[in-house]
Amino acid sequence: MLRYLARRLGQAAVIVAIVATITFALIHLAPGDPFSAVMDNPNVSERVRATLRAQYGLDRPLPEQFVRYVNQLAHGEMGWSFSHDRPVQAVLATALPNTLLLMAIALVGSFGLGILIALIQVARRGSTTDHTLSAISLFFFSMPDFWLAILALLAFTYWVPLFPVGGAVDPVMHEYMGLGARIVDRLWHLALPALTLTVLAAPTVARFQRAALLDVLPADYIRTARLKGLTEREILRRHALRNALLPIISLVGLSFPALLTGAFFIEKIFAWPGMGLAVVNAIGTRDYPLVVGGVILGSIMVTLGSILADLLYVWADPRLRAN
Amino acid sequence: MTATTPPLVSIRDLRTWFHTEGGVARAVDGVSFDIGAGETVGIVGESGCGKSVTALSILRLIQPPGRIEPGSRIEFEGRDIVTLGDEEIRDIRGNRISMIFQEPMSALNPVFTVGDQVAEVARVHADMSRKEAWNRAVEMLALTGIPDAETRARQYPHQLSGGMRQRVLIAMALMMKPALVIADEPTTALDVTIQAQILELLVELQKRIGTSILMITHDLGVIAETTSRVIVMYAGEVVEQADVDELFAKPHHPYTEGLMHSMPHIGHDQERLNVIPGTVPAPTDWPAGCRFRERCPYSWDLCEREHPPLYQVGVAHVSRCHLAIEPERRNHPHPPLVVEEGVAAA
Amino acid sequence: MSGQTRDFAPISSPRPRESPLALGVRRILRARSSRAALVVLGIIVLAGALAPLIAPYDPAAQPDIVALKDLPPSLAHPFGTDPYSRDVLSRVIYGARLSLLIGVLATLVSLTLGVAYGAIAGYAGGLVDALMMRVLDAFLSIPRLLLLIGVLVAWPRLSIAALVLFLGFTGWFGLSRIVRGQVLALKHAEFITAARALGASRRRILWRHLLPNLVSPIVVAATLGVAHVVVLEAGLSYLGIGVPQPQASWGNIIQDGADQVAALWWMSLFPGLFIVFTVMTLNILGEALRDAYERRS
Repeated sequence: MLRYLARRLGQAAVIVAIVATITFALIHLAPGDPFSAVMDNPNVSERVRATLRAQYGLDRPLPEQFVRYVNQLAHGEMGWSFSHDRPVQAVLATALPNTLLLMAIALVGSFGLGILIALIQVARRGSTTDHTLSAISLFFFSMPDFWLAILALLAFTYWVPLFPVGGAVDPVMHEYMGLGARIVDRLWHLALPALTLTVLAAPTVARFQRAALLDVLPADYIRTARLKGLTEREILRRHALRNALLPIISLVGLSFPALLTGAFFIEKIFAWPGMGLAVVNAIGTRDYPLVVGGVILGSIMVTLGSILADLLYVWADPRLRAN
Repeated sequence: MTATTPPLVSIRDLRTWFHTEGGVARAVDGVSFDIGAGETVGIVGESGCGKSVTALSILRLIQPPGRIEPGSRIEFEGRDIVTLGDEEIRDIRGNRISMIFQEPMSALNPVFTVGDQVAEVARVHADMSRKEAWNRAVEMLALTGIPDAETRARQYPHQLSGGMRQRVLIAMALMMKPALVIADEPTTALDVTIQAQILELLVELQKRIGTSILMITHDLGVIAETTSRVIVMYAGEVVEQADVDELFAKPHHPYTEGLMHSMPHIGHDQERLNVIPGTVPAPTDWPAGCRFRERCPYSWDLCEREHPPLYQVGVAHVSRCHLAIEPERRNHPHPPLVVEEGVAAA
Repeated sequence: MSGQTRDFAPISSPRPRESPLALGVRRILRARSSRAALVVLGIIVLAGALAPLIAPYDPAAQPDIVALKDLPPSLAHPFGTDPYSRDVLSRVIYGARLSLLIGVLATLVSLTLGVAYGAIAGYAGGLVDALMMRVLDAFLSIPRLLLLIGVLVAWPRLSIAALVLFLGFTGWFGLSRIVRGQVLALKHAEFITAARALGASRRRILWRHLLPNLVSPIVVAATLGVAHVVVLEAGLSYLGIGVPQPQASWGNIIQDGADQVAALWWMSLFPGLFIVFTVMTLNILGEALRDAYERRS
């Protein structure tokens, strides 16, 4: 197991290295200079411009810039965000936990909801319930992330004021609340963004799991279970699901990119202070170092996530655990 | 079949038809037989004759588009299985009647331990705790000859060999000491050496527990070794039924003859294997008259006109063949009427 | 052995030759959901194609910037007007034209790149293949939206043509994997060896044996790919880095109403509905095609 992990981490390092190269190419192949917005802008402080020059060695030959860039990345330095007037890694470090929180809840929620829907569909396969749920799944699956977020915002904060309009905490009152009230306040703000992301991610899980269950049902061991006198429900829940969960685990790894991009839009619309909001705002201010930092961090997250999912898969399948 | 005690299972006019887009496939078309308590009855026939479907029908495991047609009766312990409710049939499965298949490789769930799967039977039917069920499972596994049963029970199916997996399935089938065990080609997928062991095991366990066995196979050797009474099936029907010794000594139906004849004998010098020319007709289109007619070396015009009933041809020996009323035709065989693809009849 | 021998038919396929494309289309037309999807998609595509003829107003026209600003849906303006006093329905119709066009063109770019990359990697094999796959993995690990954000922010003020190219350059990864897989499988397939033994040239093998097997995954990838690009373009336009203003794309219209989402709800609702229905129908058709081809093999 450990050797497998080491090998995957090695591969991940190679991938991140390639990603870094790609982003470096992006920075320097762009027409003009992505930093011209900064370098030519008299309103930006000299300190920022000096930091950028130092960071990227902008007057030096390209290969030297590249080496410098990779070196700094290896040390976790991602440049200077002039819109926040702080190092990029500091901005992202503060924002990252919020995004992870959102993604984690949505991951658990969407898989739970998706698997539940799939079970209902398979238990009643071919019925109207099955077809209706498929149609609803497809409907939500086809929605752009930001559109559902907008609708959710309209529906549950404006028209039916159930939730706050945005942010992670109440902007005014949070400081003055007791511990219990503060927790409630956080949860109340977290609820709608997390719910929206969950609903966005659930259809993929439901469709995948439904197919996986239907794949498993004709198996011989399902027939054995029937021979033992188990009810169809027990067969579905105990024997079929356990086997159909294995391919779902690989879906966990594959969901990370979708969850991340979904989080970007959700954070913007609900003003949730995560990585996504930081990057989206950086687009507006043309704070390129922050954008690039976000891209690299996002790739690292996705890569690590898929390694985690692979490890989970190996752990879950008794046939693989032996090796 | 003894005259005094009622049979354990009594099947009358079982018809299992598959209603497909291409027509109605009458896989089992009017099969009747009994199984006595403690008896081992064999059903023999080639693929497609309906023996497996018969077995599945007994436990009502036929899925749509297949259906046990109304008018069929399967009497077991005073009830008709065909008309039982879902809960009642589940009560019987694994408990009073159990079944073993030929694919031990895939019949076990790969993500649960072997012990768990065997114990599950007890937890479903007897109200046992996990521990009690587990202990009983280990006991059964040991009974089937698995060495070091306690350790093995904690292993997963992929860690066991084919022969051992079959023993696990046998243990599973016998957990609740059922009245009947249906064994559908239990040794076909196994190595020859293991085959013998498994068959021996079945015979021994049967004597020990007193259960009846319905042995379904295409292999006459298995029939000879394990059964006391044999049913020969062809094209969805019973074509011959007799005690095993009688059947081997005096086969009546030309199909049975052909089967016996096609068994290669060690020590016997043969250049070519004997085969029954032709193939089984399609179940969607059983011919009128005798279904074996075109492959039969004795058939005559009566065979085309009239579908033969089961004639009594000996003590406890029936055969679905008109030779029963015109036995002298057996002395005048002719080439079968069927023509093989591209090759003339020999 | 005299004979009633059967005539041996000449070696040819038992059915009339039918291109995989036609087969797929025929199969999907059998299901009711596919037919409905085709109709709905057809309507949207037709609306976009005939935009100049059926749009009630000029999508850029601002006839009265005071009286016609921010009007909710009415008979005169079924989808209302936007903060720039333009008729939203017309913009949505023109948006159909633009968004779908971008979707199709970008997907064509992706298909070309994907097939080329995958075929080369599969055919070359060995170290070249391994290297190409590693690079592919790296691209795959960057979520497509992030990659596009990274690229588009570096190139401000992009033309639509450039946008199409960038969208295309980021959408070929999955398909190239599939193509590579097919090429690898076919490279070692027996009938290829047989064909070469018969003296078939490499190009002939490519043409007659490889390409037909690729048609199904390509068609499926194309259909689903267009759906992805439509959603992606909407998202990018919403973030301000997609289709440049004042052109009408579905994402742009939603962005125009983004500042006053509650007050100008019609600006978010209608373009979004069109996106959803376009994507839904494309998904239904793409999956029906995929099922049809899978059943065949």
